[in-house]
Amino acid sequence: MSLISLRERSQLLSKLTSTELDLFESLSREMTAADGEILFEEGADADTFYVVADGRVALELTSAGRSPMIIQTLGPGELVGLSWLFPPHRWNWRARVVGASRLVVFDAVEVRRHCHENRDLALDVFQVVAAEMAERLHSTRLRLLDLYS
Amino acid sequence: MTANTAAPSSLQPDAMLPRPFRVASTAADTVDTVTLILEPEDGEGFHFAPGQFTMLYVFGVGEVPISVSGDPGTAETLVHTVRAVGAVTEAICRLTAGDRVGIRGPYGTGWPIREAEGKDVVVAAGGIGLAPVRPMLLTLLAGRHRFGAVSLVYGSRTPGDLLYVDELHSWRSRFDVEIEVTVDRAGSDWLGDVGVVTSLLPRIPFRPENTIAVVCGPEIMMRVTADEMILRGVSAASIYLSMERNMKCAVGFCGHCQFGPEFICRDGPVFAYERIRGRMRVPSL
Repeated sequence: MSLISLRERSQLLSKLTSTELDLFESLSREMTAADGEILFEEGADADTFYVVADGRVALELTSAGRSPMIIQTLGPGELVGLSWLFPPHRWNWRARVVGASRLVVFDAVEVRRHCHENRDLALDVFQVVAAEMAERLHSTRLRLLDLYS
Repeated sequence: MTANTAAPSSLQPDAMLPRPFRVASTAADTVDTVTLILEPEDGEGFHFAPGQFTMLYVFGVGEVPISVSGDPGTAETLVHTVRAVGAVTEAICRLTAGDRVGIRGPYGTGWPIREAEGKDVVVAAGGIGLAPVRPMLLTLLAGRHRFGAVSLVYGSRTPGDLLYVDELHSWRSRFDVEIEVTVDRAGSDWLGDVGVVTSLLPRIPFRPENTIAVVCGPEIMMRVTADEMILRGVSAASIYLSMERNMKCAVGFCGHCQFGPEFICRDGPVFAYERIRGRMRVPSL
């Protein structure tokens, strides 16, 4: 799958220049994932990140003695994984695929290396990820208000 | 643009006199929410516009405003979905078939159905707010050809708090309506979305310049949803909210539901966001 086909639906990909998109394309591959497949576990090295093409991914917290709790679900076009960009580059949550899904997986180690070498690319990537973080913070604050009570 | 306005109920000579209704049946929707089907004792039916409310009187306990949640095409019965949050609503939720209640109304303005004809319609509901928009949804689906794309985005606390689950499944099976549901909290057995209701808006089809949005839920939820619709290009004049205040008389006399220069019971409960947007940020209101 070409990243161009995903570009319209993805906040991350839509903000990249054509050159940057070509670079990201070279650092990515498409994958299909079955229902329940774990993309990453809490505490593991954050050396990848994903954009959902079709399907859904649940970010969840696992804890001894209780069932996993879903923190948030991410759908088509959405970025799965933020921790890959910030030290110590470890996942804070577990990511589990819900239903058969298609994703694009990126080599986060290589993207980070290119960001170190190319400050323009770094700025673009950080701006997009920061915007995503701000949106998730806003949503989290709204949920803290217990909107439906 | 104004919403459908009912005849001023303050002109009716018997505006404060309840009509007797019998409870035909009750069904628990969630642990604290019940849907009641009521039949008028006088056999004269009950006509209302989607979005209107009644004053439901439990004799000896008290009276509360409740939005009508039934099908406007069915005049034989009156349907109310009620969450137990106080003495009167707790008494309503304890009613059983055969019990007698008093009904005044319907009162207030309705959802903008005529204005929505030929346009895309986005219905956004939060929590118990799905009940007041259900008559609107049933009207949209009954006259589906008169409207553009029709979508429902619905947010709830948990999967166990979702209303009308069977109906949501049934609507989802149609090809001419988009149904998106999300919850704030869920266990790993939940296969749907987890997140704030506004996160569903990018997924639904609508043409911002030709869209009517209908929003119902707690006030903060309505505000953030309306603001998100505006960010996506929908005009504040095309977004309608159903407001809730402490309504007592329901006919604009007592002033309990005053909201700035207007009474929610008489001038609302459905308002265009453009009209009340500023007031919704005033703490003293």
